[in-house]
Amino acid sequence: MSLAKIFRKLGLVFAVFLIVSPALLFFIWMVSLSVKFEIDNGAYPPILIPEHFAWKNYTSVFESNNFLLYFKNSIIVTGAATLFGLIVGVPAGYGIARMNAQKSAIIIMIARMTPGLSFLIPLFLIFKGLDMLGTLWPQIIIHLVVTVPIVIWIMIGYFETTPIELEEAAMIDGANRWQIFMKVAMPIAKPGIVVSFILSVIFSWNNFVFGVVLASRETRTLPVAIYNMLSFEQVSWGPLAAAALIVTLPVLILTVAAQRQIVAGLTAGAVKGG
Amino acid sequence: MAAVQIADVRKTFGTTHVIRGVDVDIEDGEFVILVGPSGCGKSTLLRMIAGLESITSGEIRIGNRVVNDVPPKDRDIAMVFQNYALYPHMNVADNMAFSLKLKNAPKSEIETRINRAATILGLTELLDRYPRQLSGGQRQRVAMGRAIVRDPQVFLFDEPLSNLDAKLRVSMRAEIKDLHQRLKTTTVYVTHDQIEAMTMAEKIVVMHDGIVEQIGAPLELYDHPANLFVACFIGSPSMNVLKGRVELGEFITAGGVRLPLEKTPPSALGKPAVYGVRPEHLKLSADGVPGKVLVIEPTGSETQVVVEVDGQPITCLLRERVAIQRGDTISVRADPALVHLFDAETGKRLTD
Repeated sequence: MSLAKIFRKLGLVFAVFLIVSPALLFFIWMVSLSVKFEIDNGAYPPILIPEHFAWKNYTSVFESNNFLLYFKNSIIVTGAATLFGLIVGVPAGYGIARMNAQKSAIIIMIARMTPGLSFLIPLFLIFKGLDMLGTLWPQIIIHLVVTVPIVIWIMIGYFETTPIELEEAAMIDGANRWQIFMKVAMPIAKPGIVVSFILSVIFSWNNFVFGVVLASRETRTLPVAIYNMLSFEQVSWGPLAAAALIVTLPVLILTVAAQRQIVAGLTAGAVKGG
Repeated sequence: MAAVQIADVRKTFGTTHVIRGVDVDIEDGEFVILVGPSGCGKSTLLRMIAGLESITSGEIRIGNRVVNDVPPKDRDIAMVFQNYALYPHMNVADNMAFSLKLKNAPKSEIETRINRAATILGLTELLDRYPRQLSGGQRQRVAMGRAIVRDPQVFLFDEPLSNLDAKLRVSMRAEIKDLHQRLKTTTVYVTHDQIEAMTMAEKIVVMHDGIVEQIGAPLELYDHPANLFVACFIGSPSMNVLKGRVELGEFITAGGVRLPLEKTPPSALGKPAVYGVRPEHLKLSADGVPGKVLVIEPTGSETQVVVEVDGQPITCLLRERVAIQRGDTISVRADPALVHLFDAETGKRLTD
């Protein structure tokens, strides 16, 4: 390897490090915080790897704050919102793609772009009037604002790349519209369904604003629960970081596991056959 | 099996007239090829028979039934698409079984039919494979298998060979022809390749700009083209044409070259006309018309020579090998009995 090549390679490594470092360092620091005692967390100069590990930060998360209840809430809200999102979004994406209904697609996009706070207060009043506030339903319903557009937009891209001849062949083979959708279009779009499932889980799982407004003490989801850890006690960085990591973990595992499909899914609509 | 009748069928997309009044009668068991340049409406017509396109006006009958408003699934037809359109998530057997399963056919019947089709097409070994694991020719065969298992009234083929390489195309051509001779199912086949049409069809429908130019047996179209379009479209290399006028017993080109005619159609006398002669009907002859050789293309079995006559390139197809070179002057002569005359304005045939 010539000197110029080595320099070029070093330059690349440095550039990559520079770009990735905010995300990476933030994450490393979180891990570090979560295994340190408070005394180390407040120390100056900062300590990255402590002499004594504070594993109890993790155990205390599970012991306190009804953590398991909130975990369960999060799973129910995200699971239900994603499930309903798929049930509504996949056929809707198919319809929009096949009928070339760009206008409806844009309307759905606008619904997604509208700031959540603008419709949260009226919805809060409606849910209150319906006496639903003590249940998880308000959060499940409002999370559909997050999941449905994601599913629809990803599925539009997928269905648009499915050759129309396949459906015409099925039509001639004797299938009706519903059978074409169930037996031909949907099985072919399976990768798209996987991608929209994962993305809708991630966005719904991490959603914070809806939970803050709509959740009561028993119906909190994890992001809200962590926020409450901040406000009730003094800022105890160790348990907070541990809790945050535990909350992030399921999504993180899902993302890493499905990384390739996510990238493929995000580009599927852009490049035909890509 | 059934006859197909297309009566005064028209199709418009907005203000564009794609099909402008087409009448075709397809007999029971016949192999008919719709041929024409791209954009002539042949594929649209096929899709109208299939029910994938609506009919603006006119009538299409399959058997004795008017099918204008019958959905594709109830027309009892099978179609083979240009890009095969195999279901990628099903293996070969499931691809072929799809239509039968939708009809809730008994399992044993599905199996017999698939095995029969697989035997006919040589697919028995491939039944468990998925489309992505097959070569182009195999995929094409599966697509045909999917049509055969249904035992439909009519087979429709939409340019089925154009995605295959040249060699495979020739062998699949023979296979489809053989298949038709065995099954005797009425077949409508669309292609832009006139060689495919000539070699496979029992009846050719030449289309151009949304109308039918001529319908007939392949050699009938070749020997007696009804107009200039058919004359130039059918045959490869295509017919030589020269503009000029008809006089008694001869044709005089725009450049004043005199070409003998066997018969002078009385109606054409003195009128501007087009003189057409097929490349293989030209011979080297001392008493012919002189011309400079532009190109020589020997293929082994024959030699194609392009000569400049009256300022125009004229193609001759010679059976013999000739010792001539580019730039030489040779004399060519057309057999007067095999010459075609067309009206210069309408393009209609003037000779009988």
